[in-house]
Amino acid sequence: MFMIEVEIFPHRYLKASTTEKFLNKIYDLKTVERVVIHGQPLPKVITYGPARGLPVNHTERKIIHVKGVPVELTVMAGRFWITLSDDSELDKLDEICKEMFPFGYNLRVGKFLKDRPTVTDYIKYGEDGVFLINEMDRRLIGMVDPRSRMANSVTVVEKEEKEE
Amino acid sequence: MAYKPQFYPGQTKIAQNRRDHMNPDVQLEKLRDIPDDDVVKIMGHRQPGEDYKTVHPPLEEMDLPEDYVRDLVEPLNGAKEGHRIRYIQFTDSMYFAPAQPYDRARTYMWRFRGVDTGTLSGRQVIEMRESDLEALSKNFLIDTAFFDPARIGIRGATVHGHSLRLDENGLMFDALQRYVYDEKTGHVLYVKDQVGRPLDEPVDVGEPLPEEKLKEITTIYRIDGVPMREDEELLTVVKRIHRARTLGGFLPVEDVFEKL
Repeated sequence: MFMIEVEIFPHRYLKASTTEKFLNKIYDLKTVERVVIHGQPLPKVITYGPARGLPVNHTERKIIHVKGVPVELTVMAGRFWITLSDDSELDKLDEICKEMFPFGYNLRVGKFLKDRPTVTDYIKYGEDGVFLINEMDRRLIGMVDPRSRMANSVTVVEKEEKEE
Repeated sequence: MAYKPQFYPGQTKIAQNRRDHMNPDVQLEKLRDIPDDDVVKIMGHRQPGEDYKTVHPPLEEMDLPEDYVRDLVEPLNGAKEGHRIRYIQFTDSMYFAPAQPYDRARTYMWRFRGVDTGTLSGRQVIEMRESDLEALSKNFLIDTAFFDPARIGIRGATVHGHSLRLDENGLMFDALQRYVYDEKTGHVLYVKDQVGRPLDEPVDVGEPLPEEKLKEITTIYRIDGVPMREDEELLTVVKRIHRARTLGGFLPVEDVFEKL
């Protein structure tokens, strides 16, 4: 399976509403396979200082809907890694970005996600753990930190099959 | 004294702005007027109208051993009264904030008495007697061109954000969202105090300054503003200090210093 990866780097951190609109637009494209949202984590409660334990209630941490599927946004999006099945729709992607990010953005084609277990995984999980990683769905490798529970960080948006 | 302080080297606008910050004779432009009570609320050390807590009786009532330094140095008002020492901390965005930590430290030391200040890469804390701190926070640190509601944050804890991109409204990232941008009025409202405790009512700190104005008053050298390499005089001084410090440990001979 040949796929290409694209990094989209808007020059501003995005509001949840913009992220929602952007994701819905790119999920209209045929070639988009997977999307990883990268950004600054927004904590639920204050973890440090005199106000420790109080809720943060950040307005940008909320549930957005991508093609009708609720996705809990836990970060303030600042970067997207998108896997495309081929490069036929790169221009369309560029146009969407131009429309959505009037403040500027960078778009690069490259390799951003890992697709096989690495030495770090051997150190962290040992051979048994790496065996498990090899057993899991290839499309999930590189999408998530294996330590986190999948239900929290990956959402499957049905088309043929997509995650984010 | 014959010595006349030069404050800071450099020929560029940025260097001049730094000198203006440090020079106690220069009055910075007053841009906003935040009520005293609102400043007290943001700082969060006491309720507005509440008495100052004290840590010792007024100096006049105290029986202190004789010391001629005490006669030479006039104590601050807060010290006379025995008020607590409290802090206020600022985070300055790298995107053309009017001040930045080192500039703040030098400015505080030049302009104010009785301060203790700590410099870190992303934040700058100032500690002082509570009553004096409130007065100077309002009159200098927040009301003047030393402050910008969008690019400078008043943050006591969880300060992360100074080196990040701004958000869509042009505000510096804040994980605790202490301040929000009011899209109707275009003003920045503080909804939490500096450590993240919610306020009863939002505090309006005014409009963010326009980009051109910020570039005019900033003290940050940037490649997309005024780059440091354009300032020859400053580079000469920086190089001289660097070489003197590097070579100083190796007992350099005279001719090494001549080349500096």
